[in-house]
Amino acid sequence: MKFYLCIDDTDNLDSIGTGTIAEQIQEKIIHQGYGPCSLVTRHQLFIHEDIPYTSHNSSMCFCGEAPDDALAAIISLAAEHLDTVAAVGSDPGLCVLAYDENCHYDELMEFGIDAKKTILTKNDAMICAQNHQLHLSEHGGTGQGIIGALAGVGLRLFGYDGEIKGALKNAEINQTYPVSELKKLPEVQQVLDLAAKKPLTDATLVNMCNRTKTVLYQNQYVLFVRKDENDQYTTLPKSEIRKLGDHFYV
Amino acid sequence: MSDQAQLPMDEWEHAQTMALSCSEFKQDVEEEWLAEETVSCYNCRYRRFVGSGIRCMKSLFNF
Repeated sequence: MKFYLCIDDTDNLDSIGTGTIAEQIQEKIIHQGYGPCSLVTRHQLFIHEDIPYTSHNSSMCFCGEAPDDALAAIISLAAEHLDTVAAVGSDPGLCVLAYDENCHYDELMEFGIDAKKTILTKNDAMICAQNHQLHLSEHGGTGQGIIGALAGVGLRLFGYDGEIKGALKNAEINQTYPVSELKKLPEVQQVLDLAAKKPLTDATLVNMCNRTKTVLYQNQYVLFVRKDENDQYTTLPKSEIRKLGDHFYV
Repeated sequence: MSDQAQLPMDEWEHAQTMALSCSEFKQDVEEEWLAEETVSCYNCRYRRFVGSGIRCMKSLFNF
């Protein structure tokens, strides 16, 4: 069974981040003998005054493999962990989907896309969850986090949204690497020219000139690069990566 | 950045200068950083993203 798990709204200004909690849940799943699991993706949701969020409104999602009968255990483990570590004053939500290749997830993906540009309600989320028979649960506070948790699963399924958590932290800034070396990193499956959306050859050199991130594009972990004035491929700053995310990198 | 002040996006140097002189600056978790400069209002836990930039929310908390 392939499963998707997403959490949202677990933090406050003094707590560990939602991404770290997602990684802790992942570690527990693997410790139970399930997995492997993917890297965690950060999905930016709508920024609007009327939406309560800590400071940035993002949710954290990963997927993994587990036996068919492990779904209840995974949900229980994740729920218990959220109940234990979620910060005071937060409004955590958990979404877990057991992926069925015979099902259509268009509505779920649309929910995720809508959550990046409109205000959605808990009722909207519950209706969408019922239609797709997935697990959606509140874990304290107002439970508003179910909206982002559901949206995160939809966006991860969509495959064109999300920054890879922790990506490229071991790459040295202002160093030049061949694509072949970058692709040895678990968070880099492809290096694409941003304008052409074409993969670079393994011998192409890339200058890591800033704190960049890989992103989910065509369901792969992609490093977008572009040519500078010296005709050298360089990375994009995170601020530009995030702006691209408004349009799903397409 | 002074309490409740708003800063447009892409004012990187200004945000760094203000954060360096702010006694309440608190770095957010790495995945939420936006600026290249580690110490920057854009990377502070007390900033809240709003439609056109960020707003300093530190006045809401006791130091």
